[in-house]
Amino acid sequence: MNKQIANGLRVGLTFGIVNIFLFLIKFPVIAGTIIKKIIPNFIVALFPINPDILDILIFIGLIGIWAGASGGRKLDEKSDNWLTSFVGGAAAGLVNALLIGALVFILGSLTDAHVKINAYLAAILPAVVKLFLLDQNTLNGSLTQFVFSFVAGALGGVLGFAFRGQWFASLKNKWNAAWASLTENPQIKKTFARPIARIALSALGIAFLLFIPQIAGKYWNYTIGTVGIYVLLGLGLNIVVGFAGLLDLGYVAFFAIGAYTVALLTAPNPHHLMWNFWTTLPIGVVLAAAAGILLGIPVLRMRGDYLAIVTLGFGEIIRILATSDLLTSFTGGPRGVTAIGQPTLFGKPFSSDTDFVYIIFIGIAIAIFITIQLRSSRIGRAWEAMREDETVAQAMGINTLSHKLMAFAIGAALAGLGGVLFASRNQFTGPEDHNLMVSINVLSVVIVGGMGSIPGVIAGAFALKGLPEILREVQDYRILIFGALLVAMMIWRPEGLWPTARRSMELHSADPEDPESGEAKTSEDKP
Amino acid sequence: MKETTLRAKSSKPLSAYRLIQALLGALFAAYLIWRFYNVFLDGTPSYGADSWLRFAISGVVLGSVYALIAIGYTLVYGILFMINFAHGDIMMLGAFSGYFVFEALEKIPSPVIDNPNQVFLNAHPVISVLLAFIVGATVAAVSGYFLEKIAYRPLRGAPRLVPLISAIGASIFLENAALLLFGSQRHDFANPVQITRGEGWNIPINGEVVILPYTGVLTIALSILILVALYVLVQRTQLGRAMRAVAENKSAAALMGINVNGIISRTFIISGALAGSAGVMWGIHLGLVYHMVGFIPGIKAFTAAVLGGIGNIPGAMLGGMFLGIIETMGPAYLGMSFQLKDVLAFSILVLILIFRPTGLLGEVLSEEKV
Repeated sequence: MNKQIANGLRVGLTFGIVNIFLFLIKFPVIAGTIIKKIIPNFIVALFPINPDILDILIFIGLIGIWAGASGGRKLDEKSDNWLTSFVGGAAAGLVNALLIGALVFILGSLTDAHVKINAYLAAILPAVVKLFLLDQNTLNGSLTQFVFSFVAGALGGVLGFAFRGQWFASLKNKWNAAWASLTENPQIKKTFARPIARIALSALGIAFLLFIPQIAGKYWNYTIGTVGIYVLLGLGLNIVVGFAGLLDLGYVAFFAIGAYTVALLTAPNPHHLMWNFWTTLPIGVVLAAAAGILLGIPVLRMRGDYLAIVTLGFGEIIRILATSDLLTSFTGGPRGVTAIGQPTLFGKPFSSDTDFVYIIFIGIAIAIFITIQLRSSRIGRAWEAMREDETVAQAMGINTLSHKLMAFAIGAALAGLGGVLFASRNQFTGPEDHNLMVSINVLSVVIVGGMGSIPGVIAGAFALKGLPEILREVQDYRILIFGALLVAMMIWRPEGLWPTARRSMELHSADPEDPESGEAKTSEDKP
Repeated sequence: MKETTLRAKSSKPLSAYRLIQALLGALFAAYLIWRFYNVFLDGTPSYGADSWLRFAISGVVLGSVYALIAIGYTLVYGILFMINFAHGDIMMLGAFSGYFVFEALEKIPSPVIDNPNQVFLNAHPVISVLLAFIVGATVAAVSGYFLEKIAYRPLRGAPRLVPLISAIGASIFLENAALLLFGSQRHDFANPVQITRGEGWNIPINGEVVILPYTGVLTIALSILILVALYVLVQRTQLGRAMRAVAENKSAAALMGINVNGIISRTFIISGALAGSAGVMWGIHLGLVYHMVGFIPGIKAFTAAVLGGIGNIPGAMLGGMFLGIIETMGPAYLGMSFQLKDVLAFSILVLILIFRPTGLLGEVLSEEKV
């Protein structure tokens, strides 16, 4: 029992601190607006309180229940019962509620004393404090918050016990059995394994893809295009990071080269060359690939983290040069280049957002084709060997430098293609389109999706670029969530959302008790 | 690393590579000499002696801040062989803590007879500055501890890319947490009136007056103090010996009864405290704090650590100083625009990593570690 209380207090402290952080960035308010979208209106109307406050309370209550459930979690087999769970959950709820209540009370009193909190804590406007106080005065509001979180914690402890109880386990088993009977059914499996079924499925998929841009509106086509460009970039970086194992943090440099090539060759300013889009497209791709090789020759003899830092340095150099006065006459400087040329088809403009979706789909198809072809080829296997252990790969007769260069060049070419399409579609490109965050976003796409996996990259691009478009409220919080997501993925699911089978096996067979922790991991301790 | 790789495959392209390398080096040296002639000897020099002194002063100040941050990278790299990408953001947290301490002390009235409006900050500048450093270093040390505990410790023994990505994630998280908490505007550091920024001792030179700022002298003095303390800590104390042992060989250190995880935690605490003090110095001397304040200094300090030879503490100090001076004097010497000083710093990073990855003083890494 004592152990359970101690655990509850510890969990409560963690949750309380996280909650304080979330309150200070007014995340409960944002989460409330999302909850508002999910819950139907007639349910909200049942409660006689302000719907804004109801949504915030739902969020705080859910977190409180979570805190209670982990505070009352099973510590050992013998003494797990209703009472211990309840006590643990209540302890967690108490600490959590104390911290929340105290925070809300302090914020309330400061606002009452007319202190301008938002001069220091940007999110804490008086209106936000009023929401935190649930539209009551300072004392009542913070007491309500306290009681609410405390009750949520205690409830969480009980619910946690209920959900690990017998009936829940049996429910889970039934569900699993039903799912298995559907997916493991030999008849269904056989049907889907037939070539004709696969062809039909792919045809259906392609028809669907061709059909989507026609029904989607302008806004959605724009969003699909953005996601598509990130899929393209992700597929390129996937070759560099996922296949060859070279961590490139300056990937945006190649994207910038593609974008600036098309911008400078087709725009009226600053050079007035006004070339045709279709002529500049291959030029941009080739230039980006050439830049990849040029940059790669000196840089690729480095390993691991050094390579990451050097590529990051190169990316920053290119960005600073693009902003500086030195190149303003050549690149348009910080203002960027506008009125970039757009593609035409048989003399007619082919440049609406819908048309661009098709061009981007074709680009993705080419990228996927290249990736699949390379992965199973000699080159792909050389990359994998290099990624696992460079010294051994070298000893096996693989020319590591040329293979690395090839990975770099192909990745750069795809980034260049992405850059060309991006600049032409937006009809604008400037230094701020090519900052470090682009590299990091693309890297996140590859890692969240699953390194080396093509469906993973697509899933990752949708998760990281598409979801924030749907949940527009979290716009400001997107990058924060990215960061937390990267850390969390590395800890719990380093293989990504949709990993290749081999990679997930590799990462989960690693011996956690490895005393030589931190040393370069070699292939010898893998089965 | 370079030597062994070269020997391992003494094929043609690499010896050609080496020739090109030597050729480029010679060209670069010739260019530097030509610039020397241009800048100092040729007719009317573009910068007078006063300008050079000014550059040198700001270079040394900047360098001593870089040195403090660089040591954090070196300590962690020496033990875990990973780049603590979030180190610059730990510095940012320290800078913000110092900012809040000064803001709070500025609000506390401390009336004296001849000035009833006196505030604590100006009445007790020494205590205020010390308090800012203590709070800044503590906050940063605690964040360093939790950073390691949450983002790095679960990943021991994972492939090397994994902790690096986790570090990048932690860095993004900290930057954006600060952005959402403190807003995107730049906060002005409220110094005690005795060390107002821009004021200092006047040094007459060539008929011009060069200001030796009080804040600069404070920064240099404090960082020398901290560096000496650190050197004693690492070389003379039980903890320092344990740290060096863990850096040398973790399993052997564990067999000798050293608590490896505890030592790693303490290393993060120490490097966090150094970064935190560097952040407060940054705020006091340069005056502006915002959520990205740690990013560029972080990368430059990493450059400094690499420059001096990563894993090598005196090397990090020297590298930091060197980089600070190059950054302020380099653009003038090479006749570049000062906008491009960051390009210079990054180019040095790239060149050092390409041509001499072991750094100026040489480092402690074997092929396997790099």
